[in-house]
Amino acid sequence: MTVESSTRLLDPLRSTLASFVSPIYIVAESPYLLSDAVGNVISTRDQLVAENQVLERRVLELSQISQQYLALKAENDRMRALLGSQARLPYEVLVAELVGVIPDPTTFQIIIDKGADSGIRQGQAVLDEHGLFGQVVEVGGFTSRVILITDRDHAVPVRINRNGVRSVAGGTGERDFLELENVSITADIVEGDIVETSGLGGRFPPGYPVGTVSSVVIEPTSAYAQVLVRPTAQLDQSHHVLVIFKPDPASEAESAAEDDGAQVEAELEADEADEADSGAVGAVS
Amino acid sequence: MNPANGGWVILLSLVVAMLFGVIHLPETWPGWLGWLRPNWLVLVVFFWVIELPHRVGLIAVWFFGLLVDVLYADPLGFNGFVLAGVTYVAWRFFERLRMYSVLQQCGIIFVLTLAAEILRVFVLGLGSERVWEWAALMVPTVSMLLWPLVFLFLLRIRTGARVE
Repeated sequence: MTVESSTRLLDPLRSTLASFVSPIYIVAESPYLLSDAVGNVISTRDQLVAENQVLERRVLELSQISQQYLALKAENDRMRALLGSQARLPYEVLVAELVGVIPDPTTFQIIIDKGADSGIRQGQAVLDEHGLFGQVVEVGGFTSRVILITDRDHAVPVRINRNGVRSVAGGTGERDFLELENVSITADIVEGDIVETSGLGGRFPPGYPVGTVSSVVIEPTSAYAQVLVRPTAQLDQSHHVLVIFKPDPASEAESAAEDDGAQVEAELEADEADEADSGAVGAVS
Repeated sequence: MNPANGGWVILLSLVVAMLFGVIHLPETWPGWLGWLRPNWLVLVVFFWVIELPHRVGLIAVWFFGLLVDVLYADPLGFNGFVLAGVTYVAWRFFERLRMYSVLQQCGIIFVLTLAAEILRVFVLGLGSERVWEWAALMVPTVSMLLWPLVFLFLLRIRTGARVE
């Protein structure tokens, strides 16, 4: 116990054992998996049609946003190139399903159904469809353990989307709150601000939403403001999560090149007027 | 825990106890219900040791505890230590414990699970920011209340499967 609290020597042993016990999670989760499956089988045609329509509408909305995103990203990368800073690489994601929950009420950790066999490594960020979910803390053969951002032991470097004020969002052990740590009372943070990952520290990719500021309390006696943040991720409802893979630094150059190509194509499709601009930048660089 | 001669029943009961330890309620239910989970493993191990002290060994229990640690995401060695402690106490006094009334056995269970919870707070305190919560006292209480049921159930299984 002492060894583990201070070193990482026992991690390989843990992951080996995890491969043995992971079936137990799946058996324990089976009532929920089964009820989902049964629900899918017995839903009526009308329900399916209605759901299909809703989903189609969402796909339309999202594809419209993503078209804009491609153009914006290309523009952003051009600007970054002009400034001489490195272009951001795209992140790959892997969809994983929740198969277990750690039973201890003092902690928030879940088990997902992808492990070392899918290339998951310790420290990878996990998202759900709404925002940052947590990070991988232990990888077994076929499952991994993920600590949620609200866990008392978890903290994530963040910035305020509106003005870039940096802070650290620590878990509180409560289901619906994070707390921004060491925020000075003069910091420009108001209720409703969107908090996103800053990418500092290199563990979490920058720019993913973490939560919205739900209250700012300034005590006259304290040098720090107490800022509570409500996570945007649906921490207790999401059954599918996304594990983020950082682009491999070794293949950085080539993927960056591919990326440029893809962007130029996207640009051509998205906006004819931008084309000349892009050519100019290409010539400069 | 030798699989021969009905030993698989012991193993199976322990695995089922692990399973009960990770089954969770629907997420929409209030979170405090999580405190009402008894320490199933202590109950089951305690039963087998006082019934069949020669079948359950300290080392075997300790290694079994390692699996439980990974399953419950506890520090490695914690559950092994707790279960080995329970085994030792039960094994040392099994003749006396068998003669006790159910109420007295419940008292012993309460003390053992309470000790496990307190140890847990110390161990977690080494590497975590988690704090003691009074609700942790619910675990020994529920374990104590469930002991008679677990005892009767396992006794029936033991006689049914002729575990010697």
